[in-house]
Amino acid sequence: MTTGVLLPVLALMTSLLASVVIFALPERMHGVRVLINLGAAGLKLVLVGVMIWGIAQGREYEVAFEMLPGLRFVLRADALSMLFAGLSGVLWLLTTIYAVGYLEDSPNRSRFFGFFSLCVASTTGVALAGNLFTFFLFYEMLTLSTYPLVVHRGTEKALKAGRNYIIYTLTGGAVLLLAIAWLHGLVGDLPFQAGGHFADVEEALHGPLTIIFVLLIAGLGVKAALVPLHGWLPQAMVAPAPVSALLHAVAVVKAGAFGIVRVVFEVYGVSAAHALGLLSGLAVVAAFTIIYGSVRALYQVDLKKRLAFSTISQVSYIVLGLCLLGPVGVAGGLVHLVHQGIMKITLFFCAGNYAETLGIHRIDELDGAGRRMPATSVAFTLGAFGMIGAPPLAGFITKWKMGSGALTVGMDWVVVVLVVSSLLNAAYFLPVVHRLWFAEQRTPWPQERRWGRLETSAWLIWPPMVTTVFLVLAGLLAAMPFSPLNWAGLIVMREVAL
Amino acid sequence: MSFYRYSLPLLPLPALLLALLADPGWRLELPWLLTGGLWGMDELRQTFLLLTALLWLVAGIFAVGYLENRHLRRFWVFWTLTLSGNLGLIVSFDVASFYSFFALMTFAGYGLVVHEGTDEANRAGRVYLAMAVVGEMAILAGFLMASNAAGSTVLAELPPAVAGSDRRWLIMLLLLTGFGVKAGLPVLHFWLPLAHPVAPTPASAVLSGAMIKAGLLGWLVTLPFGQVSLPDWGNILVILGAVGALGGAALGVFQVRPKTVLAYSSISQMGLMTLLVAGALAASEQFAAIFAVVALYVLHHGLAKGSLFLSSAMSLPAGRWQRWLMWLAIALPGLSLAGLPFTSGAMAKLAMKDVLKPSGLDFPLAEYLPLLMTAGTIATLLLVWRFLWTFGAGARTGANPPGRWLGWASATVSSLLLFWWLPVPSGLPDNAGFSAMQARAWSLLWPVLVATILAGVTWQIARLRK
Repeated sequence: MTTGVLLPVLALMTSLLASVVIFALPERMHGVRVLINLGAAGLKLVLVGVMIWGIAQGREYEVAFEMLPGLRFVLRADALSMLFAGLSGVLWLLTTIYAVGYLEDSPNRSRFFGFFSLCVASTTGVALAGNLFTFFLFYEMLTLSTYPLVVHRGTEKALKAGRNYIIYTLTGGAVLLLAIAWLHGLVGDLPFQAGGHFADVEEALHGPLTIIFVLLIAGLGVKAALVPLHGWLPQAMVAPAPVSALLHAVAVVKAGAFGIVRVVFEVYGVSAAHALGLLSGLAVVAAFTIIYGSVRALYQVDLKKRLAFSTISQVSYIVLGLCLLGPVGVAGGLVHLVHQGIMKITLFFCAGNYAETLGIHRIDELDGAGRRMPATSVAFTLGAFGMIGAPPLAGFITKWKMGSGALTVGMDWVVVVLVVSSLLNAAYFLPVVHRLWFAEQRTPWPQERRWGRLETSAWLIWPPMVTTVFLVLAGLLAAMPFSPLNWAGLIVMREVAL
Repeated sequence: MSFYRYSLPLLPLPALLLALLADPGWRLELPWLLTGGLWGMDELRQTFLLLTALLWLVAGIFAVGYLENRHLRRFWVFWTLTLSGNLGLIVSFDVASFYSFFALMTFAGYGLVVHEGTDEANRAGRVYLAMAVVGEMAILAGFLMASNAAGSTVLAELPPAVAGSDRRWLIMLLLLTGFGVKAGLPVLHFWLPLAHPVAPTPASAVLSGAMIKAGLLGWLVTLPFGQVSLPDWGNILVILGAVGALGGAALGVFQVRPKTVLAYSSISQMGLMTLLVAGALAASEQFAAIFAVVALYVLHHGLAKGSLFLSSAMSLPAGRWQRWLMWLAIALPGLSLAGLPFTSGAMAKLAMKDVLKPSGLDFPLAEYLPLLMTAGTIATLLLVWRFLWTFGAGARTGANPPGRWLGWASATVSSLLLFWWLPVPSGLPDNAGFSAMQARAWSLLWPVLVATILAGVTWQIARLRK
């Protein structure tokens, strides 16, 4: 029982404490900071690993206490939490390693890593939150801890993007708070529970519940970058590469998507949301976002910006997956939470490597970069093919499961969306891959740095190598126990109650 | 660098051994792979694997004497990946493995097409990639629907499910289109005469000899053969096959570069194979016999076409006799395509005529099949003459590096001689062997003569007008 209480708290505290200690450390104590960062990330990974093992065995982890009368603070680890916490744990460790190399010799590292840890603590809180109120606390903490990271460079552009970011997310947060408060007033405190709460709800509540659902999705949709609430995301890519990587792969957009998952599955319940006619609306918004993001990505000449629009598109796969009503399709959507994370973080790591090593930011500067940076370029190529959905990579498993699931429940149009989106993905990723490997370098690299025999700093190479292995294995070994797909299946079985 | 060069011929050897030694009932279950993997072997795949491995082998030998050191490592990587995809898809028994290997072959093949890095190669590569991606998507949608109907991802379960599905036409359309891109089906073929010739010659040989057949295999293992007779689809495919066989030749004879002529010849030959597919779709009880002939045709055409493509990069010797001998050795695989008696082509043509007899097929366009096959033969040989003509016009005189000699010679020997010792599929019609060739020599020869006279007259006219 004690470990049942202790583990979720410890998992949260590791990054929280690391953050506090790092803020307190003087700027020049570089070695100690790295040690604390990596130690905390490693420790958290172990804790999450233990919980994943326990949950697979059927153990439960929960802490709850009443903050105010009727307002409970709940931390609970279930299979769904672990999907997100596991992803954030693994990627935090890798991003920390990457960030150490990326920010070498740059100022304000203490501030950066402090907020960085705080951001991951918030993500863990979002994953472990057991009700909407607790979720909201960490969700807002995430907003506040990511803002300093977005504006870290302190340039005019960064500050503008940051302002935009904070306006969007705080407004979204306010809408979310309104919806949660309204729901609380209407039906009281609702813990997240398998199958949701509104399976048989009286007719009188249908109206308010529908409006509340729209507000909840609107509030969460800002972070999940659902069109038309996506405006902040492409600008926020001025942040340093590790921040973009984390923002796009786990922290911000995923927190939004994860919130939508919780609301649909464990507050409303799939069948109730469907009966209220809410899912078809959500599906249409998600489908539109998928296509819109891809089309916009086509027109970007800046590599990170193209990746940003791609994120808008890809995150909505998760949302679309929720609306598929059957176990296969839903698992396909859920697993994309992890798949999109490892693929997108790979791509952002690579974009960072090109920028940091060769000074490349625009896509047309990439000509011949494959020869100069083969390891990075292999990672980028596989990440891009994963995004397109080429087998046997992770993205294929997502598309295959979502497609089969959609056909099973008669939502054939989803297959069309998947195919069109894949075509667009191919159209904006394949030219980049061509430039890497088949175009000849025409001009000297904009700003080249040398690292002896290695193509770039070892700190920068290893993280994308590891995530590349993940994105290959997540597809190739999808049928193995503890694969992301397998875990998504477990979640569907235990918590979605279809 | 020498590792990248000399390891090329070694790569397909394991697959070649598998093709020669594996028992047709061999299965390998890989439950942890993708959505559950199943690999294995059957008679049809054995022939496909044999051809594919053999062709990659001779092309690999040729490549040793062909490639420059520039970008050799890159070429090696894409060659290896394409080869793995091409061989792997043949032994795949489940949808995800098949699709994975198919995609690997398609996307890595791009690296072979654009290898030379010229503007022309890049343009061809763009068309190749665009059409390939569309094809991949059609295959994905088709596979999704078929395996959803079957409730299984095992390939063998798809045909009955497709046959019984109420969306049969859509699934078939998607799969026919998707694999049709690779197989060079008319209207889906645009990339082919651009991409096959611009690749380095050994890559052209495998593109046109082996990889094109992967599209055909895709049809054979997914469409509802042997389940229901589909005369409408038979009609459609007869028309497409005819357009491919004759249209490919009509466009091909106007080409000025030898490799482009050969690429059109591949479209034309795939058109003839499409006629066989049409017959098998239209007459479900005939499908097993027709499949055996398809496999035979694939083996024959792959080896002959491989040899022709490789010969396009050979220099002719200076001595008069040697020169004539060389011309003969280059021309014979071409004549084999047209069914010259006592070549592999004669066997394939006779077997094809036998299974596509209108009496055995009950669908409206079946009665035109013999006519189409004869016209196809004439068209084939016209293209071969055109190839020799364009080749002779640009041929260099001089020595060839040993790798080229060995690769080309082994391809030619495989096509003309080794073929007779290779295991052929069982269930072939009886009267396609040597004795039948003697008895039916005239039926084989007269189209050859007609085409030769036509070509000779055209050549004379062209010479006089100069």
